[in-house]
Amino acid sequence: MKKIFKLIAIALLVMTIKPALAQEVEGTPTDTLGAAINKLQSAIELMQRFKITGYLQAQSQFSDSIGNAFAGGAFPAGTDKRFKVRRGRLKFAYNTLLTTFVAQFDVTESGFGTKDMYLVVRDPWTQTVSLTGGVFNRPFGYEVAYSSSQLESPERARFTQALFPGEEDLGWMVTIQGAKTSTWNWLRIQGGYFEGNGINPASKKMKDFIGQISINKASMDEKIKYGIGASYYDGGVLETTANTYVLNNGIYSKDASQAAGKFAKRQYVGIDAQFSAESGLGLTTIRGEYLNGKQPSVAGSANSFTANPTGDLYLRNIMGAYAILIQSIKGTKDQIVLKYDVFDPNTKVSGDQIGLKATGFNATTAGDIKYSTIGIGWIYAYDANVKLTAYYDIVKNEKSKNLAGYGSDLKDNVFTLRLQYKF
Amino acid sequence: MKKTLLLMISLVVLAGGSYAQKLKGSDTMLPLSQKEAETFMKEGRGNVTVTGGGSGVGFTALIDGTTEIAQASRAIKMDEKLKLTEAGISYKEVIAAYDALAMVVNPSNSINELTREQLEGIYTGKIKNWKEVGGANLQIVVYTRETSSGTYEFVKTSVLKNKNFASSALSMPATGAIIQSVSQTKGAIGYVGLAYVNKEVKALKVSYDKGKNFIAPSIATAMNKTYPITRPLYYYYNTKVTKKVMPYINYVLSPEGQQIVLKVGYVPLSK
Repeated sequence: MKKIFKLIAIALLVMTIKPALAQEVEGTPTDTLGAAINKLQSAIELMQRFKITGYLQAQSQFSDSIGNAFAGGAFPAGTDKRFKVRRGRLKFAYNTLLTTFVAQFDVTESGFGTKDMYLVVRDPWTQTVSLTGGVFNRPFGYEVAYSSSQLESPERARFTQALFPGEEDLGWMVTIQGAKTSTWNWLRIQGGYFEGNGINPASKKMKDFIGQISINKASMDEKIKYGIGASYYDGGVLETTANTYVLNNGIYSKDASQAAGKFAKRQYVGIDAQFSAESGLGLTTIRGEYLNGKQPSVAGSANSFTANPTGDLYLRNIMGAYAILIQSIKGTKDQIVLKYDVFDPNTKVSGDQIGLKATGFNATTAGDIKYSTIGIGWIYAYDANVKLTAYYDIVKNEKSKNLAGYGSDLKDNVFTLRLQYKF
Repeated sequence: MKKTLLLMISLVVLAGGSYAQKLKGSDTMLPLSQKEAETFMKEGRGNVTVTGGGSGVGFTALIDGTTEIAQASRAIKMDEKLKLTEAGISYKEVIAAYDALAMVVNPSNSINELTREQLEGIYTGKIKNWKEVGGANLQIVVYTRETSSGTYEFVKTSVLKNKNFASSALSMPATGAIIQSVSQTKGAIGYVGLAYVNKEVKALKVSYDKGKNFIAPSIATAMNKTYPITRPLYYYYNTKVTKKVMPYINYVLSPEGQQIVLKVGYVPLSK
């Protein structure tokens, strides 16, 4: 009996000690530390998917006359100076290997608005094909999609502002580009269908196609980087009246082939190129774009619509181009900028033809005047977050003795002093 | 009074010297930088903290301002130069040492040498079995580094001639992980800096002249330039902190620092 009790006692003791010992083995400091690190790593990986970024551009602008100038928006009548929060952006992004969500808002003294709101889904096999849907940058040219926080000139070229107001549009797009590790990562093909009215939810039956092919490469020694692209826009603007005007011998006449309910052709072809190289001076970057095409708009302006039109349409042949040189000064935080941009909203009429009147026809207007701008600027990068830009735009317009107010060059040069904070 | 004064002076000195300069980036350079930093600090020359993550991570930290020195096993890219310029950061590049990159297999593997073309075939997935290169009938398991690694970029350029790694290649976050995986997997192959090679793996002889000459990776063959897979190891620093980082960098470049380079298994700048 005593032996049985002893055996039971020993068995109970063993059963108690064994789990305790097992727990001691599982709970060694190294194991505990390893488990804690793994937990932390998982948490960090999850947090790294979510990013909040933003920037604010506060600026002062001075024009050389009252009420005439245009620089990121026309100067109000009666003033040649203004303070402005040119851009205030807050961007939320969530990224996984195969998906992206982005919501970007515009917050300035003028109010609160949506800038981008889109999702991206990538193919799970090669991460080469992706579908983007929502409100996002039109895939045309280079400057449209170039971040406003990185722009070396305060504003995009005049033709970019006129033809792609706000940069964004509502639509769907497919992108084909090799994954970052792919040998083909340098080639990107994008194409999609958009409403054509910018971020405003104004629908029309005909959707606009925008497509682009671009390459981006660096030399083996990483001293040179270059890229080129070709873009195509094929769409239309809804004719809501019976009157659509085309240019004939320098004057607008009604196009009998057009009618309310039809679509007036909106079509552009563009090319762009970029080049960066390192030298003893510092980093030199040269970029340029050229575009021509057909633009339906209103009598007084060649700007693209941001809603379906309510009046007569005027069809123009347009041309726009810019070239920009950015030179960083080695060993300093300074960059010098030189930019030339030209926008001809009507290539079929020039000089004194503009404004000529004829009975039964509509004269060309200020909307047909060609502008060229030379910009000279200096950028000082205070640190990774703060940048100061001083920039002077010398604006020259086409002159016509037959158009009131355009007999000579307008006094519309603008000096911009801008401080940007980016995070 | 004297004791209080001495204590106050010591506290001031300690406070002044307690701010560590940070090195971040290349995993390949970790053993070197850690040893250099250790000796530098032992001699009372200052405080240094060293972390890895890959060359790409180091450059990002330099751009963000979260490190004073980025250590890299590849040269800085154009995109990174543009980002540094945008951030107003001037930088200087210093070559600290050279590294021979070893192709390593499991010690049980009968293969002792491979040509560059064979290595390219293996890493791109065209060659899938060791018997195709004269070894045993055993599936090849490829281990590679993550894309943020300078070593990954160097192998892709030098060995693969810019072709892609096989999609079946297993990506490892650190050099140590490659050593561990290769040592535990019979059919495995991977690549590591010479300083990481140990008895748990076998380093292969490599030929870059289609099999005429096979050279084993060693400090001697790297120094006499017969071993074909060698590359410089860099320090990049923000010129704004030149005064702060130069004591450490000058130490690494000094004869004493270069002796440490040799001891740890890297190739010094000169004999």
